Amino acid sequence: MDIFHNLLLGFHVALSPQNLLFCFIGVTLGTLIGVLPGIGPVTGVAILIPITFGLSATTAIITMAGVYYGAMYGGSTTSILINVPGESASVVTCLDGYQMARKGRAGPALGMAALASFIAGTFATLALNLIAPPLADVALSFGPPEYFALTFMGLTLVTSLSGDSMLKGIMSGVFGVILACVGIDAVSGEERFTFGNVFLLDGLGFIGVAVGLFAIAEVLINLEDPMEQVFMKADLKLRSLFPNLQDWKVSLGPIGRSSVIGFIIGVLPGAGATIASFVTYATEKRLSKHPEKFGTGVIEGVAAPEAANNAAAGGAMVPLLTLGIPGSGTTAVLLGALLIHGLRPGPLLFKTNPDFVWGVIASMYIGNVMLLVLNLPLVAMWASMLRVPYRILMPLIVTISAVGVFATDNNVFDMWIMFGFGIIGYLMRKLDFPAAPAVLGLVLGPLVERSLRQSLTISHGDLSIFFTRPISGVLTVAALLSLFAPLFRTAWEARKRRLASTKG
Amino acid sequence: MRRADQVTGVVVLLFSVFVMVGAWRMPPSATFGPGAGFLPFWCGALLALLSFLLILSGVRRPLVAAAKTLFPSERGLLTLAAVVVGLTAYILTLETLGFLVGTGLLTAYLLGVVEKEKWTTTILVAVLNSAGLYVVFQVLLGVNLPTNRFGF
Repeated sequence: MDIFHNLLLGFHVALSPQNLLFCFIGVTLGTLIGVLPGIGPVTGVAILIPITFGLSATTAIITMAGVYYGAMYGGSTTSILINVPGESASVVTCLDGYQMARKGRAGPALGMAALASFIAGTFATLALNLIAPPLADVALSFGPPEYFALTFMGLTLVTSLSGDSMLKGIMSGVFGVILACVGIDAVSGEERFTFGNVFLLDGLGFIGVAVGLFAIAEVLINLEDPMEQVFMKADLKLRSLFPNLQDWKVSLGPIGRSSVIGFIIGVLPGAGATIASFVTYATEKRLSKHPEKFGTGVIEGVAAPEAANNAAAGGAMVPLLTLGIPGSGTTAVLLGALLIHGLRPGPLLFKTNPDFVWGVIASMYIGNVMLLVLNLPLVAMWASMLRVPYRILMPLIVTISAVGVFATDNNVFDMWIMFGFGIIGYLMRKLDFPAAPAVLGLVLGPLVERSLRQSLTISHGDLSIFFTRPISGVLTVAALLSLFAPLFRTAWEARKRRLASTKG
Repeated sequence: MRRADQVTGVVVLLFSVFVMVGAWRMPPSATFGPGAGFLPFWCGALLALLSFLLILSGVRRPLVAAAKTLFPSERGLLTLAAVVVGLTAYILTLETLGFLVGTGLLTAYLLGVVEKEKWTTTILVAVLNSAGLYVVFQVLLGVNLPTNRFGF
């Protein structure tokens, strides 16, 4: 009964006129960001931090969460109509979505994408609603060693799962933790890597780094090889959007399965919406009676990944809110935003700021309904946005980023940070280093460091403290395993190759 | 990619040595437990090890025919340089020119010079963008944007 009581409180918060308005703004911006290729949810959320700075924490996070799950809706439109994913979680949707559009079935594809997103998004919010409170209760008993183990595991899992090369992912994560060390050490008051610069005493501005690594780097990459867009003519009248009975019959199973799988993948640190969409597409193809038809325009191929990426976006909120561990690039930026607003995500959040937690969760129910309305009848409007050429968008993204970064602290130095990390981010992308682990390292670095040093102070420098306590022991071992997994895998493959060569 | 990885590895190795030296010079903790340099030192060491692995994996991997060239085309490089120069000039002159003028000029430069859009569209977008951002940030959000000596 407690949950209903809490949810009632949440709706009370979320239904206030201001929060409703900003929830609407958030999901609208999210859809727009999802639709426009070349700007993803991480960039959108990063740019929004300074803009929502003056709002209350609850309203700000409601807006940013709206951008996050809203982008999952919008991304499919671009995939289906121009065969370019609006953001990375919609890559798989291109496979069957674009083929459906070529066969003249763009309407049902778009409609199914929106409806599957709605079902999965609502399911994920419900699951978040049920799972988060008990998890937060468990986490309440955590001491510094458990926290260190948990953040450490979050960090290693994210780095090892992102990108093609685990080695480069881990390097990026360690780089982020080093960046987090810049500024005055919170424990000893010592200045670290500030080079006498007063602006660096507070550390590297998180917003400047994030906007640089994502928004500016993305612009530079897109400038280098401009995208070519072939727009699909499509009948987007409301009636043509509804999938027929046959479509529903084949899609309901995949939507149900993908919602559950997507949510679970979203909860796991390190595997976000993109991985969820790939996994569920592969699962449905394997379960299908006609796997060979996947990729030729079957509606399950649209329904499954679109359900999965929305469920994963909801799932990713579970570790963020209950443990303070972000599971993906976007939630890492969200965590940064929470910290800026003076909220420390973690189990205590449910006790100290119930109106915030439940307000955000309740707003996700409302946001999903808004998104369904925005994305079904208005899909033609979003599609027309695709006609805005990227060359017009580019200067807008650059200037909004620059102003936003300036606005956080009212100084030009943060713009230089954005500029510098824009170039670093560009080089990282060219060299196949994922940027998300670096941002995660930057956000989690101070938390890792504090819990690490507190633990070692408790144990008088004895490292065994991380292994002798059961929860932290399991988590530390899991973290170390995922960290050294690439080595194991290389060794395993080398062994297999040796065996194969001796046999052959 | 192989050669690029090796060069990156060396650069990162130098960076991590720099971090380790910096961390080593930090004073030890006055009480129990590790001091300020503890985490950066070990992160530096880990990064050094990883970059060493990267260099090594570059040496051991057979040279594959380059599927994609790493370097942008000459035109791409010029575009990139143009954006970098524009952004540098913008940040440098922002507090002299003021927000409205500076942002308008940057938008016009990016659109008209870099992207070679028609000048009518360029001017329209530049004016609207600069004014729009001013309204959102200065008027609605109450941020004190930089002004020039004439007060705008």
